[in-house]
Amino acid sequence: MNKSVAERGIGILLPLVVAVIISGIVLLAIGKNPLDVFSLIVAESFGNARRIAATLSAATPLLFTAVATAVCFRSGVFNVGVEGAFLVGGLAAVFLGFTLPAQLYFALLPLCFAFAALVGAIWLYVPGMLLAKWEVDEVVSTLMLNFIAVAITGYLVNGPLLSPQSGNNVTPLIHQVAYLPRLMPPSTLHAGFLIGLVCVAVYGFWCRYTAAGFEGALVGQNKRFSRAVGISVPRTIMGVMILSGLIAGIGGAAHGLGQMHRFSDGFSPGYGFTGIAVALLGRNHPVGIVFGAILFGALASAGTTIQLFSNIPLDLVNIIQGTVMIFAVVGLRKITFRRKKETVHAD
Amino acid sequence: MLIEQILASSLILTTPILLAAMGGLVNRQAGIVNIGLEAKMLSGAFVAVIVSSATQSWLIACLAAALSSAVIGWLFSLTITRAHANMIVAGLGLNILVAGVLGFILSWFYKTSGTLRQPDVVLLPNVLPSAIENIPVVGLVLASLDPLTLFAWITVFCLPFVLANTRIGLWIRATGNAGHVSCAVGLRGLAIQDASTAFAGFFAGLAGAHLALASLGLFNEGLTAGRGFIALAAFYFGRDRPIQTAMACLLFGFLDTTQIRLQTAGFPPKLIGMTPYLMVLLALIFTSIRAQRKARI
Repeated sequence: MNKSVAERGIGILLPLVVAVIISGIVLLAIGKNPLDVFSLIVAESFGNARRIAATLSAATPLLFTAVATAVCFRSGVFNVGVEGAFLVGGLAAVFLGFTLPAQLYFALLPLCFAFAALVGAIWLYVPGMLLAKWEVDEVVSTLMLNFIAVAITGYLVNGPLLSPQSGNNVTPLIHQVAYLPRLMPPSTLHAGFLIGLVCVAVYGFWCRYTAAGFEGALVGQNKRFSRAVGISVPRTIMGVMILSGLIAGIGGAAHGLGQMHRFSDGFSPGYGFTGIAVALLGRNHPVGIVFGAILFGALASAGTTIQLFSNIPLDLVNIIQGTVMIFAVVGLRKITFRRKKETVHAD
Repeated sequence: MLIEQILASSLILTTPILLAAMGGLVNRQAGIVNIGLEAKMLSGAFVAVIVSSATQSWLIACLAAALSSAVIGWLFSLTITRAHANMIVAGLGLNILVAGVLGFILSWFYKTSGTLRQPDVVLLPNVLPSAIENIPVVGLVLASLDPLTLFAWITVFCLPFVLANTRIGLWIRATGNAGHVSCAVGLRGLAIQDASTAFAGFFAGLAGAHLALASLGLFNEGLTAGRGFIALAAFYFGRDRPIQTAMACLLFGFLDTTQIRLQTAGFPPKLIGMTPYLMVLLALIFTSIRAQRKARI
């Protein structure tokens, strides 16, 4: 068992180490001292209470998208459509946030969240059903659905839902009563962060202590065995896809009601994809996901200030994220160079 | 006149999608779904602009773009075949990584954000003399034909033969369809997959070069605008067959052209832009249902 713990540790560290090395090389190439930059990033993201709040605020959407991704990945369902569900969920929540009467007061927030969760769940139910019923490749279908989500939400905010006041790519602001409360007022850290933590905790509980969670993991490890012991694989696949959409939708709602207070083009600068990186980095483990989300939140919040003060392009964050994604899925101990071990990868 | 213009611009807008799709198709025949086409198109476009400006030669620019993207493709392939990375996640990661590196280079070395203009960028020449324009209907199409478009269509008509009748073609298909068999008869499956990904990179690089050098002569971070994914959509739609895939590309190129015209006619552009993705989804459902019906019988 010790070996597997060590392996796990290496698995989490490897992508980070490679990312640090690659970004270090990039920084050296432009004549900056990588250590200075990295310590500046740490100081900028964790230096004082205000900066920690900014980091956690940036980590908030990632908590949701990472959990939504992990739910599917651990069942061997390669759902890359969390981005789309996050978008449609966000728009759904914001839409209710400004169309329903403000007199609903405290009933407004739960209504928005419920609607967003419903829309997100339906959004990912479609590819889930297609996969379970007709074996439609979920990677391509969810990838295509992302583009469709961008198109539909983009059309709505430029057309029917366009704000009459500020006419470019934004919906009207939601009612004040639908705002999620801010936790540390000057910063944008909002109650969505707490909801995100609850989501992660529920996910951890679901994985560990519920039959459905166990079945999900089993399907991910061995489909034939699962079938043999009487687990319905199609039903599990549909279940995790719906769950994923639900969480992504709630995430979109939290982002819309807590952070943006409206929907605009560019509502999500790729939170769904960063969520994939976070889930992979955290190896689908709840604690790993929280750490991963905070790490990428730190990079995002520090990246902007780093660009301001030391002139290093913000794109460094993307370089790190891309590297983490590629190397998080590398099987370190399985690296093959010899012909003897060759096995061909079929899709 | 209007039809001539639409035909000509459809053909030109098809080319980058077509080039990328041909590479991706061969890649998928060998068993690798290449999500990173977008990244390789973008890097190809960047290299093409830089080299074209530096050497004053469109040919060297295209070759440089193709080769650099082929190298990226090969390295990317190594992470999949040798280090067992999941091809989908690694591909998404590559897209983010390459966009990050290019953005970084742009703002650090060229002190610009988003768009890179270089002096004296040589554009792709026209293959045929401009006098040909006077032929009715197809004249404008022929006159606007550039070398990469010609190359792309030659590839379309050569690939079926290569895949079906040559040794390399059979190797590729055997590797993708029956890994164990190809291994058993002594083929180096992983090397073949690496080569096919490098091939896809080569073509994606050319696609990027066409985007940058066909008429614009500059590089922009959003230049590819999801065309790598549309190419992916095209060869899924064409079920990895060159001719069918090319027809899908033509359709997407035509949609791209009419998008602007329909927009002036009052159709929302965003919804028109959605059609390729929606079509792929429908095609995917259709083929899956059919495959399952066949399996049942």
